[in-house]
Amino acid sequence: MKDQLKIAVYSGDIPSTTFIERLIQGLSHTGNRIYLFGFIKKKTRYPALVSVFGYKNTRVHKALHYIKYSFLLFCFKNKEKQKLDGILKAQSKNLLLDKVKSYPVLWHKPDVFHVQWAKGLADWVWVQEFGIKLVLSLRGAHINYSPIADQALASSYREHFPKVDAFHAVSKAIGVEAEKYGAATEKIHVVYSGLPQGKAHVEKQKTKTVLQMISVGRAHWKKGYTYALDACKILKAQGVKFHYTIVGGTNDIEFAYQLHDLHLEKEVSLIDNLPYAKVQALMQQADLLVLPSVEEGIANVVLEAMQNKTLVLSTNCGGMDEVIADGVNGFMVPIRNAKAIATKIVEIVAIPEVEKEAIRKKAVRTINTQHSEEQMVNQMLAVYQSLYHDKA
Amino acid sequence: MTKHKTEKPSIGMVLSTVPKYSETFFRNKIKGLQEAGFCVVLFVDYVHADAADFACKVVAGKNFNVGFFKALWYSFLAISKSLFVHPKRSYRLYALNKKDGMSLKKNIRSIILNQFFFNEQVDWLHFGFGMLAVTRENVAAAMDAKMAVSFRGYDLYLSPLKHPGCYDVLFTKAVKYHVLSQEMQQELQDYKIACNKIQVITPAIDTHFFTASKRNQYGNVLQLATVARLHWKKGFVYTLEALALLKKKGIAFHYTIIGDGEERERLVFAAQQLGILEHITFTGKLLQTEIKKQLEQTAIYVQYSIQEGFCNAVLEAQSLGLLCVVSNAEGLAENVLDTKTGWVVPKREPEALAKKIEAVFSLPDEEKQKIKTNAITRVQNTFGLQQQHKAFVRFYGLNKEI
Repeated sequence: MKDQLKIAVYSGDIPSTTFIERLIQGLSHTGNRIYLFGFIKKKTRYPALVSVFGYKNTRVHKALHYIKYSFLLFCFKNKEKQKLDGILKAQSKNLLLDKVKSYPVLWHKPDVFHVQWAKGLADWVWVQEFGIKLVLSLRGAHINYSPIADQALASSYREHFPKVDAFHAVSKAIGVEAEKYGAATEKIHVVYSGLPQGKAHVEKQKTKTVLQMISVGRAHWKKGYTYALDACKILKAQGVKFHYTIVGGTNDIEFAYQLHDLHLEKEVSLIDNLPYAKVQALMQQADLLVLPSVEEGIANVVLEAMQNKTLVLSTNCGGMDEVIADGVNGFMVPIRNAKAIATKIVEIVAIPEVEKEAIRKKAVRTINTQHSEEQMVNQMLAVYQSLYHDKA
Repeated sequence: MTKHKTEKPSIGMVLSTVPKYSETFFRNKIKGLQEAGFCVVLFVDYVHADAADFACKVVAGKNFNVGFFKALWYSFLAISKSLFVHPKRSYRLYALNKKDGMSLKKNIRSIILNQFFFNEQVDWLHFGFGMLAVTRENVAAAMDAKMAVSFRGYDLYLSPLKHPGCYDVLFTKAVKYHVLSQEMQQELQDYKIACNKIQVITPAIDTHFFTASKRNQYGNVLQLATVARLHWKKGFVYTLEALALLKKKGIAFHYTIIGDGEERERLVFAAQQLGILEHITFTGKLLQTEIKKQLEQTAIYVQYSIQEGFCNAVLEAQSLGLLCVVSNAEGLAENVLDTKTGWVVPKREPEALAKKIEAVFSLPDEEKQKIKTNAITRVQNTFGLQQQHKAFVRFYGLNKEI
């Protein structure tokens, strides 16, 4: 086992999504070196042990980046450069861009190269030729539906998954899905997303006369908002008083038309994406967070809502049933079923406040025991270190 | 219309680009107008490579998204033209825009972008889509031409949701409107447009090509089909949910989706989650002859749209002698007459759709034949190209027979 590892966390973008950034920050406090490669979207400050070897998306920056690493490799690792050139030439569609992306990785040679998005895996299998361990995260759409609709992607997964040294699955369910493409069961490690601990939990007010519901997420079909809106129509017809806010739902003509079509303009608001703190505040004010998705790994927004002591109603998609037990720490309904959503909401409204509070407390306990940031970082580190057992 | 600017009465059609070979509606319309004695000029924002052989004169605007210096040069040319070649028209456009409260910057931009219209003399300037007339509300008046606007489903029902108030200026102008259905006429009237300014001209199809054959022999499996872009407004997800209900009831079916689009992944995943993927074929986009061949193997045509202006594909299916089950989205209930030429089901209700498909499937053959015959007769008599050509001639105020 190595004492200090050089771990590359690769998502393609610097900075990456909130949960990947959380992993980077967490790993950087474990004494290991973290390398970030890829396209720099925005200048970001990282702790001392994080090194960024990225490029800006301009021709000049990419050219300078390419020249620098070509020169270094030519002078000091020419044999390896030639070997990589041969591999890239055989598989590449855009050779120059692939060299821009790959040369820094060969030069800095991390111990572990952790690819965050499965669709990009084929571009990075070469790292194993140079003794770098390859880890792949199994996340959402990349595993759950893209390969179903795209046969070429599915066969690429079947070709490359057996080669991967270790998989990080965001849920047990997604791990099972990946096995269909040749991921070996013993190589799959479930590491749940973690949230920072120690947040002051706000005391929830009793449910107001008008039920305040909220959903948070990008305006994408996989979020299943059309089912939530159809459920709103049923609730309205039943005389339930509610208001439903979809954060991130503006500028989507499908939702706007559905509101218009179902005469829900007064009951539903589609609002723009908001900064993290504002979303948290809105979530705390809401009585119920609704996750009507048809596909998820484990939705981070649900974890945040549970930590915020907001009741959660989720569909039983992906790994959501690994977090929520219906009626215990939240509520669960089948996917693609507007009637079930509406019925469950009516049931939730009727639950006495004491019981609701008990459910909220259990939700917080679930987050503390299963989704702490510390747990996530330690488990990820254990995955990386396990790859060096044999070498020790 | 007695006095014309050219020898023949002239129509300036405004579209985004030259209609492709497969876009039969505008091609047929222009051909019909020419046969009726009109001179047609097509104004487009840009031209693509295969537009050279188009049947009428094509006037294209300059592409200003080509870099700063080229755009500056084009702007200079347009302003020079407005000052020295078309000063009257340009000033009229400027004055009318100003009257509408347009800012000076936008007004100058409008004069530059619309300069390419002013070389032509037309009696009518007809915008092929509502959104094409937005910010061009005064171009026809500046040219001393009458203004007409065609609305299709998307730009009447969806564009105002995406761009609130986009037609506010347009609806104050003297415009003759063409819509596809009575439902759309009502929608326009809700915007306080006078009834006499609106003419319903339904889409039309080539009834000679889409003629019912006697090859409609199906096996034991219920063959269903839809021809449409894979777009949310076509209601495919609700359709798939209805089919999942049919499967639960033990009805053997196969559903063919003809068309391509951005929602393929959504639909394949929905079908997979609903457990019906093996009963569905996504053919992608097909040629008209291939579509016809495919539909001839189909028993029930389904068009369970969420939003629909009128829908040519449903007319074609009826003309081919297919039993049609459609939603009540806007113009569809006029396209198919419920229980007479097909069946209309409330939209967004997959259970109702499943029940209707099952009921239609179990109808006695004589009943099915009666509906088919009604549909074929109605489409042949009402939705042929000749009827449409005559309607457009009337639209422009001529009673001349084709």
